[in-house]
Amino acid sequence: MALQDYIFRIQRNTTTQGGGVESHWEDFPIQAEPNTTVLTLLDGIKGHRDGTLVFRQSCRSAICGSCAMWISGRTRLACKTHVGKVANAEGVVEIAPQRNQPVLKDLAIDIRPFFERVRGVTPYLLDGPDRATEVTSTAYDQVNHVTQCILCGCCYSECTMAEVNPAFVGPAALAKAFRFVADPREGRKGERLQALGEPHAIWSCTRCALCVDVCPKEVAPMEAIVKLRTRAVAGGVTDSPGARHALAFHDDIRRSGQLNEFTLMMRTLGIWGSLMETGMALHLAKKGKIPSPFPHGVEGVEELRRMYDHLEQFPINVETKAKEAVPE
Amino acid sequence: MSLEFAYYPGCAAQQIQREADWAARAVCQDLGIVLHAMPRASCCGAVSLRETKPAFALAVAARILSEAEAMHRDLVTICNTCLQTLTHANHRFQAEPELLEQVNRVLHNAGVRPYGATIKPRHLLWVVTEQVDGQLLRDKITRPLRGLRVAAFHGCHGLRPAEIYEREETEVHHLDRLIRIMGGTPVSYRGQDRCCGFHVMLSDKREVHTMAANNCLDAKGAGAQVMVTPCTLCDMVMGSVQEMAEKTVQQAIQLPEMNFAQLLGLTMGISADRLGIARLHIDPGPALATVGL
Repeated sequence: MALQDYIFRIQRNTTTQGGGVESHWEDFPIQAEPNTTVLTLLDGIKGHRDGTLVFRQSCRSAICGSCAMWISGRTRLACKTHVGKVANAEGVVEIAPQRNQPVLKDLAIDIRPFFERVRGVTPYLLDGPDRATEVTSTAYDQVNHVTQCILCGCCYSECTMAEVNPAFVGPAALAKAFRFVADPREGRKGERLQALGEPHAIWSCTRCALCVDVCPKEVAPMEAIVKLRTRAVAGGVTDSPGARHALAFHDDIRRSGQLNEFTLMMRTLGIWGSLMETGMALHLAKKGKIPSPFPHGVEGVEELRRMYDHLEQFPINVETKAKEAVPE
Repeated sequence: MSLEFAYYPGCAAQQIQREADWAARAVCQDLGIVLHAMPRASCCGAVSLRETKPAFALAVAARILSEAEAMHRDLVTICNTCLQTLTHANHRFQAEPELLEQVNRVLHNAGVRPYGATIKPRHLLWVVTEQVDGQLLRDKITRPLRGLRVAAFHGCHGLRPAEIYEREETEVHHLDRLIRIMGGTPVSYRGQDRCCGFHVMLSDKREVHTMAANNCLDAKGAGAQVMVTPCTLCDMVMGSVQEMAEKTVQQAIQLPEMNFAQLLGLTMGISADRLGIARLHIDPGPALATVGL
């Protein structure tokens, strides 16, 4: 393949005495074949052009997770990213450190806060009353995709909730939590679900699916969060606005077929919460936007009730299963 | 070729964001797109039903898709979350025949026509940019935007997860294309393909307000005069709630926001009344006046 001209536009960062970060962008024109990895080219820059450039790397095989960085609009592993796929029409590749995490120098971030979150979900099996004595051959259908996680932090860097709420546990740690809730050998599933139902955890995920799209190992953290929510509700962990909001949907659909935006707020937040929200109601009312408390029912709503009742009586398991975990 | 669809506007377009429904109907009428009502269609359950009752959620989706299938039409919607919910279910029904069979047994038991997994949920935006004759569309745009700088806010659920959508559906930025066809200048900004936060608006209010403010301020910083979205839920957060976000972050934003069908309708010369422009919280009048609209 022929050599192409690229410009690596790299964010250079230096921490200052006062704890801030000074940033500027520096351009490095380079020639490379389009299928060269960004990591190889960064190595070239560090080796031949500017030895002071700081970034993390180790295995070069998408298994250690060290070289996750922000490359042309998304957080990716530099070792798994071909330059031709991320250059814009002018050949520019923008490279910056991961988002949502403290920057140490240039492209290197402080990984401690991320790992503290993972540690926070107790990432090992605990003995206890919920431990199954039998492990069936299908037990890992739920666990496999999550065990692929290499803790690179790509998902956390893109997480839209972590960006506005540093207390949010985040996609990687929640996926890890699911790995233990779903493991038949785990003895404290109920306790874990109770803890995960607390604020800034499973119910704070925006469901934006960015974590699913950026994960280099197909862990699909958001799917793990969805499954944690399902297990929490099924296990009776419903005392939170997020859980009550989710539960309101099936009541409404069963009753009238339509979601009732009027009572949704009431049920999610409770009476006191809704009174606190009168600001929003008044604000919407300014434009005549108060939803009707009596939305029109849909035709055949009794069919929905029959479907619901049938499934309550004869439940079916529709959970997606992870693909067999095989090395790449 | 006539374009006819089973029309599934979604709950928000029938309640708080009714203007998006009005605009979609008005625009379709002028573009010769026939929208057939779906009187039996229920709420899709959005992201929540799949969490609390996963099997019921699939059955509800199958019942909606089955109604469109019985009409021999693809389903078209103006809500990204409805699009994602129905596409996700459809993707599974097409990939997992056994699952479809199980769900169809539930439908059959309840007296509902089983779903054959033959139709495709579409977004009205894709229909306008991909299926409507390009010349017809350009001819209908009698009041072009004359370079108005428009920020497209794409919304998560029409883009992700990539595995349930066909590549061209998410990779082509339909909204940017439409802005160019309307004579506007698409504005590129950081938040354009990020999240409005709608689905946690009630449980994590401060965070959602911050997200909305960040996205709008990004767009405004990049020079946007108006923001459009293809989703009634994004409309609610970025438009209807924007002034509440201003209070939370204690910063003025005042970026007029509207549904793409409303801006398209204006460029097609449809009256502001029919498009529900007066229902917008932030008056787009001054911005539109700069280009004679």
